[in-house]
Amino acid sequence: MKASNEPTVGFLFPSIIFVVVFSLYPIFETFRLSFYRLILSLPWLGQKFVAWENYADLLTDPVALKSLTTSVAFVAVTTPVEVILGLAMALVLNESFRGRGWLRAIVLVPWAVPTVVSSQMWRFIFNDRYGLFNFLLFGDATERYWAPLAEPGLALMSIMVADIWKTSSFAALIILAGLQGIPRELYEAASIDGAGPWRKFRHITLPLLKPALLLALLFRTIDALKVFDLVFVMTQGGPADTTNVLQFYGYKKSFAEGMIGYGSTIAVAVFLVSMLLSIVYIRLLGTRLLGKEEGG
Amino acid sequence: MIRLLAILFVVLLASDLAAQTQLRFVTWRSEAAAVWEQLIADFETSHPGVKVVREVGPHSSTEFHDLVTQKLRNRDTEMDVFFMDVIWPAEFAAAGWALPLDEYFPVQQQKVFLEAPIQANRYGGRIFGVPLFVDAGMFYFRKDLLAKYNLPPPRTWPGLVEQAKLILAQERDPYLTGYSAQFKQYEGLVCNMMEFVMSNGAALWDGQNLKGTLHLAKAKEAVRFVRDQIVGAISHRGVLAYQEPESLALFTQGKAIFHRNWPYAWEVANDPQRSKVAGKVGIVPLPAFPGHKSVATLGGWQLGISRFSRKPQLAWQFIEYMTSEAVQKRIALHTGRGPARSTLYRDPGVLKKHPHFQARYETFTLAAPRPPTPVYQPLSNIMQRYFSSAIAIPDSNIDQLAQLASRDMDRVLDLLRGRGRP
Repeated sequence: MKASNEPTVGFLFPSIIFVVVFSLYPIFETFRLSFYRLILSLPWLGQKFVAWENYADLLTDPVALKSLTTSVAFVAVTTPVEVILGLAMALVLNESFRGRGWLRAIVLVPWAVPTVVSSQMWRFIFNDRYGLFNFLLFGDATERYWAPLAEPGLALMSIMVADIWKTSSFAALIILAGLQGIPRELYEAASIDGAGPWRKFRHITLPLLKPALLLALLFRTIDALKVFDLVFVMTQGGPADTTNVLQFYGYKKSFAEGMIGYGSTIAVAVFLVSMLLSIVYIRLLGTRLLGKEEGG
Repeated sequence: MIRLLAILFVVLLASDLAAQTQLRFVTWRSEAAAVWEQLIADFETSHPGVKVVREVGPHSSTEFHDLVTQKLRNRDTEMDVFFMDVIWPAEFAAAGWALPLDEYFPVQQQKVFLEAPIQANRYGGRIFGVPLFVDAGMFYFRKDLLAKYNLPPPRTWPGLVEQAKLILAQERDPYLTGYSAQFKQYEGLVCNMMEFVMSNGAALWDGQNLKGTLHLAKAKEAVRFVRDQIVGAISHRGVLAYQEPESLALFTQGKAIFHRNWPYAWEVANDPQRSKVAGKVGIVPLPAFPGHKSVATLGGWQLGISRFSRKPQLAWQFIEYMTSEAVQKRIALHTGRGPARSTLYRDPGVLKKHPHFQARYETFTLAAPRPPTPVYQPLSNIMQRYFSSAIAIPDSNIDQLAQLASRDMDRVLDLLRGRGRP
């Protein structure tokens, strides 16, 4: 191990540079800016160091707190649903049947379509006059048509549906990889012992799939916390601010209002929350994922 | 031989590109794209060696703003000329993004343009953009439906509601809606709500004393009217998700009695190819609350030059051309957009094609600008949040929401105190 240390550093150098320039530096810069008051449209105010003022503002900003709740609700609903649907899809795709290769490819299509395109598509589907959603629900009874994106109680749910449609297959992909890593002999041995499909699933598949499931949860949680494009295209945060997720609020502050300091503070908050969740998940995953222990 | 030809071709291509000066024009896609393409082609013909590269951004003002400011913030030297919504010049001027145009565009020349958009392009005593075309909120109605029930176009908001109720009850068409306008949470919502608020004698904020005014009784009364009498009453709740295109589509499909939109809707609504109500459309100023004057929000687009452009001279030649009398006339004739030069509203050729321009001139000269301020965007986001919450939730606590909105606006306006800046 010791002998190979020096060349290792040399080989790692390019990727270290990459991480420093494109990851660490922007994170550091965002942290730094979050301690300043910097408003682009008011350059004469300068870039003033305000210490924790932005953070104090954030904690007392009712809009930010509501945005955080919206983001958390979004994560809490979409992530478990996506992982459960992904598990179901993966179990089907793991069976051998004719046309499996085709089906695997097809299932990935929603995930492969650019989000902006699928968001626009869902916006049309949910349109209150010509949307497919209403046609399927009510047919010709146009007087009963709903406008999901116009209702404060339904808009967030509509966005959740679009997200679940789009990313369940991504969860399926990760879980399918996990399924294929489970040795076939275990199932054969279980069959000889007389175990039925449910017991095999309950006692072999599920425990051995735990790392893949947690990994899928981890990826989906972090991604869902950062949801932006769906909101940007479908609702712009409305109606009544009910879809104004934290990431979108931060974007508005930084990019529309030019409030770079406060916008950075929101970005830092999103960063800290996703880091906290990541730590929790990695703890749950244990050391197995990190490859330090050859257990199991 | 083929190789020789290929090399020759590449060399020719390269020399051709090298000889061309590119001018990058950031714009959005017009609904009369062919007219614009022709105008730009003509400019290129009269300026040999110049190629105008159009970069087409999103049509929504909010999203277009994000694109242009992103480039300006990054000091992008590629972008030379850009579109500016009427609410941006103050912000772009204060941030040092837009080039002051006083040397190219002196006061005498400004005088041939409409007064309101020129004011919107001024900041701190200098001018930062040239108005290209002017917009103002217009009121469209179905002439045939009103004639059927023997009604005149409504002059007041309560009158509109009354007429809509009557027609809806008689027509018994579940698809028909009373008033189609822009009530989604975005910039258009501010324009629409401002027309209600100001036509009740109230204001969005007090620019002199830098104070929010939406919590005052008259402003709340107008907002409450929209919540109780329009959304979910004469209009289906779907209007809460509508921007301009969706609301206009409803009208051109013959499924709305009254419609609020910018002037471009006139062309679309009267085009038999695109509209089922062509020839059945009337246009008048927007209604007001009883005892008050009608208010139309001033809109429209300007051309500005980026401070980071390396070709400001050429950029100015392009702007000068686009805003010249001849080109303005072509825009007026072929796109139906309201030209920014006031003389064209008396031009016989234009009036022959668009007789309604005469009435429009009055609306344009009286149109109310959203007060120019470098902090317009934060103020607008507060107002969008407030208006949407107030009208989308049927039992919203308007008193409390308005109080919060005014307080938040006070805080933003406080940033302008000191330094004696406008």
